[in-house]
Amino acid sequence: MHEQAQLRLKKDEVIKLGAAVFVIQAQDLLRTKVFKEENRLLNSFKNPFRYEKQIVFSTALADPAGHASAIYGVSRKCPAWGQWVENKPCWFVIDSKGIITSAAHPSFATPTSYIKEVDDMLAALTEAAK
Amino acid sequence: MSKQLTATLFALCLFRPAMAEEPLSAIASYGNLKPPVVKPMFDGMDEGWQDRVALEFEIMNDADLKSLRTALRDKNPDARAMAARALGILADRDSADALAELVKSDPSYLVRIRAVESLGFLKMKPDVIQQAITDEQGGVRCSARLAADQLKSKDDFAGQVRRAFSVGIERDDMGQAEVGLPAPDITVQTMAGTPFRLSSVRGKQPIAIYFAAFDG
Repeated sequence: MHEQAQLRLKKDEVIKLGAAVFVIQAQDLLRTKVFKEENRLLNSFKNPFRYEKQIVFSTALADPAGHASAIYGVSRKCPAWGQWVENKPCWFVIDSKGIITSAAHPSFATPTSYIKEVDDMLAALTEAAK
Repeated sequence: MSKQLTATLFALCLFRPAMAEEPLSAIASYGNLKPPVVKPMFDGMDEGWQDRVALEFEIMNDADLKSLRTALRDKNPDARAMAARALGILADRDSADALAELVKSDPSYLVRIRAVESLGFLKMKPDVIQQAITDEQGGVRCSARLAADQLKSKDDFAGQVRRAFSVGIERDDMGQAEVGLPAPDITVQTMAGTPFRLSSVRGKQPIAIYFAAFDG
């Protein structure tokens, strides 16, 4: 969620590149809508995005069975609440020819690691836009 | 057959150590399904993911309801949780009472989460869902709120999930995305519930895709 919140702060850069950004949830439509339209997680504890009502800029897409996620190799690698129903978060960048030019997993290494990870993704997207 | 399934928390956007690692024999009772080999968190977490994907598709498409209902009473909480989730998605209304009991009294919050989630899929037992909104555990409260949202909606969320599973998946199709290769086409759903194919935009503009965890 931090990755999406951070990307929202950079949306002008994305628009300038003429790029499309998607976020895919391996969840049903309701949970994907909540992810897109509400801020139920980050408003529950102290963080920079606590008081934001909506923090996802990307176009949200639902992948209820994790089928697309499995094709991209990120499915069922992240256990949550007792089951492997979540994706292992990953950024993919695809250039204007349809070739994957970058694939990177967020590290969650520090409370602010998402800042550099989004910057790195945007650098890859800038390169892909050339 | 004794295998291990690791249950973990994913809280506050940080991975937490495994909550439970106990032999999971109940999976072997799901008809002719073979249990996956699941490694502990942080230790080869990726390993075996194709098995888990394949198993879940098998459960949703082929597991018999009787075995899943029996698994609701398994001594292993991971088995109870897995069965609870499957029965909700499979719209087994006959399991509503058993799921409600799990929501109210199962000692494992992991099971309570999946059971209340399934009552939302079934759109049954609103009183139990409401009660779960005050559960002592945050994950249960979160899932109960989502289940309450499902009750208010006319959409058949369980049906959506079942249809998504019904297309099946081949192992050769898993993990095709690689840097330097064409982006594999995928079909997902828009917020309007309509299909969206990546190929409709691929090759026309630069694209970034983030595969997210619910809170990641």
